[in-house]
Amino acid sequence: MAARDNHGTDAPWKEGFQVVGRAHPKIDGLAKATGQAIYTDDIQLPGMLHVKMLRSPHPHARIIEIDVHQALELEGVHAVLTGADLPKKYGVIPWTPDENALATEKVRFTGDEVCAIAAIDEDTANAALKLLEVKYEQLHAFLDPFDALERSEPQIHDEIRGKEVRGNVSKNVKLEFGDVEAGLEAADAVVDDNYFFHGTTHTAIEPHCAVAQYSPHGVLTVWSSTQITHYVQRALAHVLEIPEAKIRVIQPCLGGAFGGKSDPFALEFVVAKLAMITGRPVKCLWTREEVFYAHRGRHPMHLHYRTGARKDGRLTAVDAKILIDGGSYSSFGLITTYYSGQLLTGPYDFPAYRFDSTRVFTNKPPCGPKRGHGSVQPRFAFEVQLDQIAEKLGIDPIELRRKNFQGEHTETVNGQRITSNGFLRCLDEVERASSWKERRVKLPRGRGLGVAGSMYISGTNYAVYPNAMPQAGVQLQLDRSGLVTVFTGGNDIGQGSNSVARIIVAEELGLDPEDVRVVAADTDLCPVDLGAYSSRVTFMVGNALIDACRKVRKQIVQAVAEDWGVPTARVWMGLGEVFDLEDRERTLSTREAFHLTEERFDTLGATGSYNTPELGGDYRGGTIGASPAYSFTAHVVEVDVDEETGRITVENCWIAHDCGRALNPMLVAGQMEGSAYMGIAEALLESHDVNRFGLHAGPSLLDYRIPTSVDTPELHALIVESLDPEGPYGAKEAGEGPLHPSVPAISNAVFDACGIRLKQLPFTPGAVLTALRAKTGEPAPVRA
Amino acid sequence: MRVSRLNVNGDTFEVAAPEHWTLLEVLRYRMGLIGSKQGCDKGDCGACTVLMDGKPVLSCLTLAALAEGVEVTTIEGLLPAQISAGGAGTDPVQEAFHRCGALQCGFCQPGMILSARALLNENPTPSRQEIRNALAGNLCRCTGYTQIVQAIELAIAEATGGEPENPSWSPGENPWKISHTSPEDLEKAEPT
Amino acid sequence: MLRLPKFQVAAPDSVAEAVALLEQHGEDALVIAGGTDLVPNMKHELFTPELVVSLANIRKLRGIKQAEEGGLTIGAMSTLSDVAASEQVRDGAPALAQAASLVAGPQLRQMGTLGGNVMLDTRCQWYNQTYFWRDALGFCLKKDGTLCHVVAGGNKCVAAASNDTAPALMTLAATLVFEGTGGQREIPIHELFLADGIYNKKVRGEILTAVRIPALAPGHRGAYGKLRERGSIDFPLFGVAARLDVAADETVAYASLAAVALQARPVLLKRSAESLLGLRPGTRDFERGVDEAAELAYRQCRPLDNVPGDSDWRHEMVPVYVRRTLLAALEGSGPVHHV
Ligand SMILES: Cc1cc2nc3c(=O)[nH]c(=O)nc-3n(C[C@H](O)[C@H](O)[C@H](O)COP(=O)(O)OP(=O)(O)OC[C@H]3O[C@@H](n4cnc5c(N)ncnc54)[C@H](O)[C@@H]3O)c2cc1C
Ligand code: SF4
Ligand code: FES
Ligand code: FES
Repeated sequence: MAARDNHGTDAPWKEGFQVVGRAHPKIDGLAKATGQAIYTDDIQLPGMLHVKMLRSPHPHARIIEIDVHQALELEGVHAVLTGADLPKKYGVIPWTPDENALATEKVRFTGDEVCAIAAIDEDTANAALKLLEVKYEQLHAFLDPFDALERSEPQIHDEIRGKEVRGNVSKNVKLEFGDVEAGLEAADAVVDDNYFFHGTTHTAIEPHCAVAQYSPHGVLTVWSSTQITHYVQRALAHVLEIPEAKIRVIQPCLGGAFGGKSDPFALEFVVAKLAMITGRPVKCLWTREEVFYAHRGRHPMHLHYRTGARKDGRLTAVDAKILIDGGSYSSFGLITTYYSGQLLTGPYDFPAYRFDSTRVFTNKPPCGPKRGHGSVQPRFAFEVQLDQIAEKLGIDPIELRRKNFQGEHTETVNGQRITSNGFLRCLDEVERASSWKERRVKLPRGRGLGVAGSMYISGTNYAVYPNAMPQAGVQLQLDRSGLVTVFTGGNDIGQGSNSVARIIVAEELGLDPEDVRVVAADTDLCPVDLGAYSSRVTFMVGNALIDACRKVRKQIVQAVAEDWGVPTARVWMGLGEVFDLEDRERTLSTREAFHLTEERFDTLGATGSYNTPELGGDYRGGTIGASPAYSFTAHVVEVDVDEETGRITVENCWIAHDCGRALNPMLVAGQMEGSAYMGIAEALLESHDVNRFGLHAGPSLLDYRIPTSVDTPELHALIVESLDPEGPYGAKEAGEGPLHPSVPAISNAVFDACGIRLKQLPFTPGAVLTALRAKTGEPAPVRA
Repeated sequence: MRVSRLNVNGDTFEVAAPEHWTLLEVLRYRMGLIGSKQGCDKGDCGACTVLMDGKPVLSCLTLAALAEGVEVTTIEGLLPAQISAGGAGTDPVQEAFHRCGALQCGFCQPGMILSARALLNENPTPSRQEIRNALAGNLCRCTGYTQIVQAIELAIAEATGGEPENPSWSPGENPWKISHTSPEDLEKAEPT
Repeated sequence: MLRLPKFQVAAPDSVAEAVALLEQHGEDALVIAGGTDLVPNMKHELFTPELVVSLANIRKLRGIKQAEEGGLTIGAMSTLSDVAASEQVRDGAPALAQAASLVAGPQLRQMGTLGGNVMLDTRCQWYNQTYFWRDALGFCLKKDGTLCHVVAGGNKCVAAASNDTAPALMTLAATLVFEGTGGQREIPIHELFLADGIYNKKVRGEILTAVRIPALAPGHRGAYGKLRERGSIDFPLFGVAARLDVAADETVAYASLAAVALQARPVLLKRSAESLLGLRPGTRDFERGVDEAAELAYRQCRPLDNVPGDSDWRHEMVPVYVRRTLLAALEGSGPVHHV
């Protein structure tokens, strides 16, 4: 079989699914529950040094001079690094390498890394930091994206990869499909409005950490809390200028990521370099404050939309103009800029679409991919705009969405191929579960229901660096004990990809899931997988696993059939045994079957891989946002608005999500709930701000308020299956899509509750009171 | 350097550590009890929660030098305690978290499980609101707390012989009602 | 990790030893109770004592007792969770029990003490930050610097008293027992606090040993209201304690309101409270009195940008929380809190 083969949506054995579709505890659940799981900071090596970093106190400045002498002289200090030690620029997207592990000439935000000190312990390293002397020349700091758009001087980046940067514009994408102006003209109603999505950040509870060891043979091992082992290996090779073959990157257990660990980070280069210089193991554990500076979170976006619709609710055209505040570096920004437009073209059909998205650099912590990368912000604006259209036309908001449903097996206006699409069923589910029809009209003032829908990619066919090799590879080892070990480069970041791997292999080879172990995210041991981003792991690694399993399965079935003297069609594997379908008395344990097969063939094992089919529109950027499958979601949110305090309380959130097939519904529900929780938090509580001094407004878990258990509403996961023709057994993603609708659904529910449209995030109580007053015409209270 | 006599998970240790070290640092980096996690190191997240004389406290704000004379229980202590009490396998709370999918990245969970354990020791049949209140100092970024609350409700139901509000999660079952797209769904869509 | 600066730890068994250590080391020694305020502050390098004197081993600082002369004596080392859960406190000082129940989160209430809460350092968004952050900003008056980021050109620190129990104790007319090398003294709580954000207490170098709450007047009703963003963990954005003593003739014989998270000291809202005197709950007059109390509180309380968040909204919430807390006191419900 080849990388692009589809395996169908059916169970691999005639009797139907044995493992898939049921709740299975996670492969590492008990290890985590008992404290045995090893995360990066749990690694302690003999003689290990500890690193602390000096960071820029200015948002934008030129470095004039760095004096490290005093620091180096402090007892216990082993090495000091500055930008000059790691001069090569890198970036997760090879077209935009604009980062240095430590600043070389300039610092671009308050918190940018300038120096790193390795010492016998953190206290000594901290003491040495205070002995470093850096002279800066301060430059105008861009804190507002409009300022950055208008002023081209001073430039935050002069050139990237030899190409001059135009002012402070990081990326601009303008695409038009169909005739937008004609569409708007033909519309009976046009809504034209502005929206703002603020910055938010991932806030995984585990802070970033990296440990490096350099062996006498020149092999560098880096353990890192990363979700992209393979890219980190490549980036290390590039920056340290040593061959990839000399670098081993291992991701230990990861304490959450959400996109926040999908760039290579300064600490990885720094520990590696320091391990090489000192010959000792080196660890760097960032403080929570430093994690806020590392950021790569949600891009703030100023969005302008014009949408036209006919009287019957059918959309005629959508026109978008978006300004994206990128922060100080590119990170994934090129993709973000495309995604901000490219991912809007479902689950609704509209014949004409145009977007003009500009990402600018500002002197703030760099933005990047956060759960629902690039598409949560436009989705918010657009779904609120759809409600405005529904209001204008007097159509029920769910009905309006139904009317515009794009259908299955179709193509979007921007040329993306849509396969399975369970969006209508999602709408039905949330409508039913929330008793929308019966309750919406009857709710008392202050209570409201709101709906929103969305679409998200399930993997992307855009590999971060162009290549024709598989996007996901796996390897299986079948042991004589009956144990199967899976080797996968896939990063389990808590979403459960290793558990999914176990389930698929158990299903394919008829094993007890307990007899499948998974070794993952170790570049020495595991075939390449590109990493845990773009909701690609289940889809791609899952397909690669089926590919590998079917190879060994064929051998096992043949060996057993030959031994029994029956046709291969009579051999069936299930739940740890191999049966003769026509003579149920005749069985072998899997272990015995493995022995037979090994005798008949050779040492047992197989590789498998997956690659996306050729996808995407035939235009520049047409492959960005092209996915082998899309997931679909609808939410209904019930809110309570206290009109005296302005506080919005989400009472219930019904989440219906088309995940293709729920390989393990328990994990799918967990992803859906976690996504909705995160979206609600962005809407109501969180705000990643830089203050007027260019300083992070509150880099702590006290000031950046993620919800506690008493702030989180009842979340109701309603799983929808559409059986995607290309997903593993029909599965698609579940980890990012279900975040999208929660934000606009809250805004729409607030409108239902008290007639105000919230178009600027976050929906603070103060903003709600202001909007309520604007509606009634009541003056604001005068501050005496 | 100060030698502290710490009673951790039933054993007494003499541990030498700098005087300004927190209990979290001593547990993790002196005693190798890495089950207690650090998410903020200043009292904001609850990942470092341990029990002191059965009550949940934050080890990142506790000076190790002042942790003498109390019984400290870390996540590593629950399983041995369960076994030595004649129980089979893990603590029922740990087991329930595992069975309910409450552990995603798992980083918050040692602290979360200890808070849950302390709650159930004090009140074996808390209401859902009481459960939420007891966990309100343990931030979890993955789960949305839903499966955590369900896990605790399952542990309660199993201990009291009651029925959890949510169907019980025996491996191999599927308590979720899954709906499927059907051809009729698509017929509802107007042709484009 | 976020490291602590180096210091020594002492854990004496008696108050006498503790105060002797404090005297001996002067400015270089600090008292630690639960440590939930001091430890983060030390991690931020706001305090860098050479010696930390723990009160944890001093038995007599624990316990909640019914005093002979009526009222309660609460040992300074009683934890906030014990205070919140105590039947005696719930009956004998309802606003205090409610305020204690809303401090921080569960683990912090288990560790944090009533004494530590009374003696809590003032807070400010420009101050409760790491050394790096404060350095990048430019140090302020309260620590290491010469200017104020809240009041431009200001030469007085206005960091906010943020201790939830203080207003409750003020409405209860609590007194504080301090012990120093010179012996014991007892002062009314409202006399403790000064309008100086750098150090907002009149007492220094002494140990708070107990909090005394006088016997409740007949018809005492008390409640606490707390405005914050999340339902747990967060410090108050505004906190108000309300007390109404409803006499036998069903009129308000005494009223008191006190608030925190405004300026350097918790404030008594005297005029506001007075507008309720003599009114009979349940009447229109009383309702109007409540509105007037709320309006006067609105005028007296001016939230500043010392506490993070939208100070205009906090200001608007003052009358709302005053009204709701008064009504909760009257009904015997409360605390007033959004979750
Ligand atoms: C995340 C977080 C959230 C918080 N939220 C809140 C909140 O919502 N509301 C609130 O009020 N507080 C809050 N706090 C602060 C703190 O937890 C409480 O105020 C607690 O009551 C402090 O008590 P403690 O015993 O821990 O004090 P410590 O930290 O031990 O001491 C605090 C101060 O008081 C002094 N002191 C302590 N005891 C005595 C004594 N007996 N005599 C003389 N001086 C003494 C100390 O020297 C120190 O300066 C929060 C803290 C954190 C970390
Ligand atoms: S009010 Fe805040 S900024 Fe002003 S001096 Fe006090 S702590 Fe510093
Ligand atoms: S690490 Fe202790 S509360 Fe966060
Ligand atoms: S499981 Fe990841 S933070 Fe709770």
